[in-house]
Amino acid sequence: MRNEIRRLREERGLSQASLGTALEVSRQTVNSLETGRYDPSLPLAFTIARYFGLTIEEIFHVD
Amino acid sequence: MSTKAQVTITKAVGGFLASSIVLVTGTLLLVRFGPGNMGKGFAVGGAAALIVFAFAVWRVARRPTDASSFERSFTGVGDERDRRVAEKASAVVGLVSIPATGVAAVAVAMEASADVVLAVLLFGLIAVAVVSEIGAARRSSS
Repeated sequence: MRNEIRRLREERGLSQASLGTALEVSRQTVNSLETGRYDPSLPLAFTIARYFGLTIEEIFHVD
Repeated sequence: MSTKAQVTITKAVGGFLASSIVLVTGTLLLVRFGPGNMGKGFAVGGAAALIVFAFAVWRVARRPTDASSFERSFTGVGDERDRRVAEKASAVVGLVSIPATGVAAVAVAMEASADVVLAVLLFGLIAVAVVSEIGAARRSSS
């Protein structure tokens, strides 16, 4: 699954660590999400979407 | 010190104390009633686990972002990915343990030393746990 997390994070000038703190996950988890090596649970996907003020479909795309 | 680090340390101290009580009680019981050097072995193994736990707590409390997935899971502060990595590693150990136990039983039945077989089984499973944890953390696949 592809996602827009890296682009959205960089647009807001955030580091992976600070985004991780905001989402209450580790920096490594943010990195894994951005590189597509880890697909989040539905609750985390909702948290990410709410954080960026978007819908899940606008952030995550099925390959 | 951040609130998160304080919570980590508070939880860890509780876990450390509870584990220490289990370790001391178990050691006393095994020294009194257990066969051979079982009490001594339990004490050494338990103490080693507590030392690893204390080291993990120290790393997680000092700089959580640099701690490994295993350290965060082990100290109870892991996120969902850390928990998933731990679950995958545990699943591998569980799968490997079934045939490994069978092989160990056959070895004992063929008059291999039970002490040696049990030691090989234990350390072998620990090695499998370490390798599978590292592998699962690197892949981080869901």
